[in-house]
Amino acid sequence: MVLADLGRKITTALQSLSKATIINEEVLNGMLKEICAALLEADVNIKLVKTLRENVRAVIDFDEMAGGLNKRRMIQSAVFKELVKLVDPGVKPYQPHKGKPNIIMFVGLQGSGKTTTCTKLAYHYQKKNWKSCLVCADTFRAGAYDQVKQNCTKARIPFYGSYTEVDPVIIAQDGVDMFKKEGFEIIIVDTSGRHKQEESLFEEMLAVSNAVKPDNIIFVMDATIGQACEAQAKAFKDKVDVGSVIITKLDGHAKGGGALSAVAATNSPVIYIGTGEHIDDLEPFKTKPFISKLLGMGDIEGLIDK
Amino acid sequence: MFSLFKSLVGSKSLTMDDMKPVLEKMKDHLIMKNVAADIAIKLCDSVATKLEGKVLGTFESIASTVKNTLTESLVQILNPERRVDILRDCMEAQKHGRPYVMAFCGVNGVGKSTNLAKICFWLIENNMRVLIAACDTFRAGAVEQLRTHMRHLNALHPPERHNGQQMVQLYEKGYGKDAAGIAMEAIRYAKDIKIDVVLIDTAGRMQDNEPLMRALSKLIKVNEPDLVLFVGEALVGNEAVDQLVKFNQALADFSSSSNPHIIDGMVLTKFDTIDDKVGAAISMTYITGQPIVFVGTGQTYTDLKSLNAKAVVHALMK
Ligand SMILES: Nc1nc2c(ncn2[C@@H]2O[C@H](COP(=O)(O)OP(=O)(O)OP(=O)(O)O)[C@@H](O)[C@H]2O)c(=O)[nH]1
Ligand SMILES: Nc1nc2c(ncn2[C@@H]2O[C@H](COP(=O)(O)OP(=O)(O)OP(=O)(O)O)[C@@H](O)[C@H]2O)c(=O)[nH]1
Ligand SMILES: [Mg+2]
Ligand SMILES: [Mg+2]
Repeated sequence: MVLADLGRKITTALQSLSKATIINEEVLNGMLKEICAALLEADVNIKLVKTLRENVRAVIDFDEMAGGLNKRRMIQSAVFKELVKLVDPGVKPYQPHKGKPNIIMFVGLQGSGKTTTCTKLAYHYQKKNWKSCLVCADTFRAGAYDQVKQNCTKARIPFYGSYTEVDPVIIAQDGVDMFKKEGFEIIIVDTSGRHKQEESLFEEMLAVSNAVKPDNIIFVMDATIGQACEAQAKAFKDKVDVGSVIITKLDGHAKGGGALSAVAATNSPVIYIGTGEHIDDLEPFKTKPFISKLLGMGDIEGLIDK
Repeated sequence: MFSLFKSLVGSKSLTMDDMKPVLEKMKDHLIMKNVAADIAIKLCDSVATKLEGKVLGTFESIASTVKNTLTESLVQILNPERRVDILRDCMEAQKHGRPYVMAFCGVNGVGKSTNLAKICFWLIENNMRVLIAACDTFRAGAVEQLRTHMRHLNALHPPERHNGQQMVQLYEKGYGKDAAGIAMEAIRYAKDIKIDVVLIDTAGRMQDNEPLMRALSKLIKVNEPDLVLFVGEALVGNEAVDQLVKFNQALADFSSSSNPHIIDGMVLTKFDTIDDKVGAAISMTYITGQPIVFVGTGQTYTDLKSLNAKAVVHALMK
C-alpha cells in the first residue's frame, strides 16, 4: 500500500508510548523524533514536519496532566490530528454533474503524468457512462498531440487538437466549445508541463484557464518529488484556482510524502492516485480511510473526537 | 556569554557532544535542500568522525569548523575521479570505424528523450552525425516525439551547412517491438553508413518493475553501449537513492555476467525548477560515485550544461 512503510514506522513509534511505564518529556521527545524522521524519509516537507512536532508538543503540558492513560490518549490523538491535517485540507472536492458539461483542466510540472492521467480519468468516467472527451492544449512538447491521439484512439475517447495551431488558448477554447455543443459531460483539457520559474508559462496557464473557465483544476504531482514540491504547488495555486490533486507513479517504491505537501500548499484534496502506466491504473482516494488504513487503526474520526 | 567564551578557548578537543547541536542543524539544513534524509545523516556522521578529538584553533568556532568540513566533503562527492569525455571517445570510436553508442535510462517522465535531443544538438554542433534509436516502443507518442526533434534539429543544421549530409536520422520500428533488437539493428545500420554516434532512447520504467528492468538489462548486455547514462530529475527526493541502487542492481543481477555494465554517469534534469534545493545532485553522486555528465536546465536545445560543483555546494550551504 501507499505509504505503508511510513505507516509502520509511525505505528511503532506510537507503540513506544504504551510500552513506557512513565510518560515524561523524554518519552514524548523520543517518539516525536522517530515520527519526524519517518516523515522526512518519506519526503514530507520539512516545514510541515516541524509544525507537526510543535503542535503535538503544544498540546501536552506535563505539569498539568494527570494519569498515564490520559497522557497516552492525548498524545496519540494529537499525532493523529496532525497526520490527518497533512492529508486532509478539510475542503470537499468538486463533484461533476450529470447532464451538463463539466470542464476539468489539468496542470502540473513537466513530466508529472498529466497527459497519461487525463486519459485515465476520461476513461474512468466513460466506463461509468458519462460522455467524456479530451482536448490537447499542449502545443509545446514534441509529440504531445500524437500521445493524446494514440491514447484516446485506443480507449475510444473523442479528442480534439491540432498539428498546426500553435496557440494553446485557441485550441482549448475551440475544443471546449465544440464538445460543449455536442453535449459532452466530462471535458478534460490537457496542458503543457510548466514550472514557477518561467513566468510566461504561468501566464499561458492563466490565459487557458480564463478561456475555458474550468469547473475544476487538477494539479498533477509525481510521487517521487522531494522538498521542491511545496514551492511549486503553492505557485500553481497562486496563479490559477487549483481545486484537486492527483498523485501519480505510486506503483513504484515512492513514499509519496513529498507530493502530499501539495495538499497543504494548494489547500486541495487528493482525489485519485496513479498506480501504473496503463489506462485503468487509477484509484479513487479518500483521506480518512487512507489514514486509518495507514496506521492500521479502525475508526480514526472516533479517536480524534474523544 | 559563556558559550561564546567556550568556543574561543582553543585548547579543548572536540567531542561528539560538542558537535551534536550544530550537526543536528546541518542535517536539517541538508534535508531542506533536498538531500535524501539517509544521506544527510551519513554525511553529518562522517563529519563528526573526522572532527572528533580535533583541537580547535583559537579563532575557530565549532559551527564554522563543522561547516567547513562538510563543505569539503560535499565538493569531494561532486567531483568523482572518473571523467567522461564524450567527444574524445567519439573520435576514438571513429578511428576504429564504429559508432559511439550511448544509452539513456531512468524512471518515467524524468526527461530522457528531451535531454537525448539536447545532447544530440550538442553533438551536431561538434560536427558529429547522429542516429537516434527509438527504443521506447511503449509510451504513446514516444516515436513521434523523437521524429519531431529530428526534424527540428535537421532544420537547425541543414545539409547545406554540412557538405550535403543529413546530420540526424531516426531509426524506428514503431510500437510494441523488442527494444534490444531495435537498438542492435540501429547500431549495425549506423556502422554500415558511417554515422558517428548512436543515441538509444528507452522507455521510462519503475525500478521495482522486474520485467521492465530485465528488458533494460538485456538491452545493455546485448548491445554493449559505450556509455550508460541514468537520467534523474533534480526534483526527486529520497527516491533518488532507491532508483539508482535498484537500476545498478538490475543491470548487474540480470546480466548474468561477471563484469556487468552498470551506470557510467548521470544526467540531472529540470535543474531550472528547483531554486536552491539542489540536494538531488548530492544524493545521486553519493550513491553511484559516478559523475553528473550533463545538467538539464530547461526545455530548449541549448539548456544543457555541465555541472558546476562549486555553485552547487554554495547553494547547498547557503
Ligand atoms: N509507473 C507509472 N508511470 C506513470 C504514471 N503516470 C504517468 N506515468 C508515466 O510518466 C511519464 C510521463 O507521463 P506524461 O503523461 O507524458 O506526463 P505529462 O505531465 O503529460 O508530461 P509533459 O506534458 O511533458 O509535462 C510517461 O512515461 C507515463 O507513462 C503512473 O501512475 N505510474
Ligand atoms: N524545465 C525543464 N523541463 C524539462 C527538462 N528536461 C525535460 N523537461 C521536460 O520534461 C517533460 C518530460 O520529458 P521527456 O523527455 O518526455 O521525459 P522521458 O523521461 O523521456 O519520459 P518517458 O519517456 O515518458 O519516461 C517534457 O515536458 C520536457 O520538456 C529540463 O531540464 N527542465
Ligand atoms: Mg503531457
Ligand atoms: Mg521518453
